[in-house]
Amino acid sequence: MEEKQKGKFDKKALIGVLALVAAVIVLASVYFVFREKPVEGAKNITIEVVDNAGGSKMYETVTDAEFLRQAMEETKGLSFSGTESEYGLMVETVNGITADYAAFGAYWSFYVNGDYCMNGVDSQPVENGDVFRIVYETGAAE
Amino acid sequence: MKPVRQSNGHLAWDVALYGMLAAVIEVSKLALSYLPNVELVTFWIIMFTLYFGLRTVYPVFAFILIEICIYGINTWVIMYFYIWPLLVLIVYLARKADSVWFYSILSGFFGLFYGAVCSIPYIFIGAMDGGIGSGLLLAFNWWVAGLRFDIVHGIANFALMLVLYAPVKKIFSRIPLPSWSREGKK
Repeated sequence: MEEKQKGKFDKKALIGVLALVAAVIVLASVYFVFREKPVEGAKNITIEVVDNAGGSKMYETVTDAEFLRQAMEETKGLSFSGTESEYGLMVETVNGITADYAAFGAYWSFYVNGDYCMNGVDSQPVENGDVFRIVYETGAAE
Repeated sequence: MKPVRQSNGHLAWDVALYGMLAAVIEVSKLALSYLPNVELVTFWIIMFTLYFGLRTVYPVFAFILIEICIYGINTWVIMYFYIWPLLVLIVYLARKADSVWFYSILSGFFGLFYGAVCSIPYIFIGAMDGGIGSGLLLAFNWWVAGLRFDIVHGIANFALMLVLYAPVKKIFSRIPLPSWSREGKK
């Protein structure tokens, strides 16, 4: 009986749940207002791949892609693969070179115009003139 | 058999307990790792804090060390070292509350603002390059990029606590712990 009383959905609980719902709505609004938005139309972009030996390969491409993954798929001479997840594709192999985190602490880092990409390849927007760097890195990122 | 008290004030029994609690947290996390931001770590840390008090930070630190062994050292390690002990502290301060709704709402808010709290290191990382303004912008962008996952995190935390609080609490009350091993809610 006491347990039932403690689990009762009272006025305080109602206020708490409503506050939680309000917070969800506010955060969703912040996301839709401030998230990086894709740009429609043709864009000229540059993709540089820096491999495990420090070798660099540049790709210039014109694409209608709104997000990086499609732009990479359209880039001739660039190949990549990885594991699909809820976050999108986790890139593990670029141009046949696999970054094995478990064995070597290695991973592929993505940069856009010199800044570390805050999105995965499926949600990273592409804008005209963007310069992307895909770099093989090991150890701590920071 | 009477437990043996060690020179550092802890009991051998406690050390074994912390190991088991850390194992429960880690196994639960790995079991749900295929569902991004749906986790039982928050749930267990809240329940353990209610039952074992501030000493829950020991299994929390053990959990973080296990995570480091599995995933290596990166920025998230800094976040883990303050966000999970912060949860222990919040729950400890609120431990007199005894309502499934209270802890469900607390879990929900913790999930919703998890990304915001975790973005703090990026203020310093960004500030090293371009001053405090740059740091705040980097942290804000990082937070916004992950907001949809925070929303999933908050809703999942709320639902998991709502469903599991009562049965797990009932099970905890049946565990024959010696009185000296309980610091939180009896």
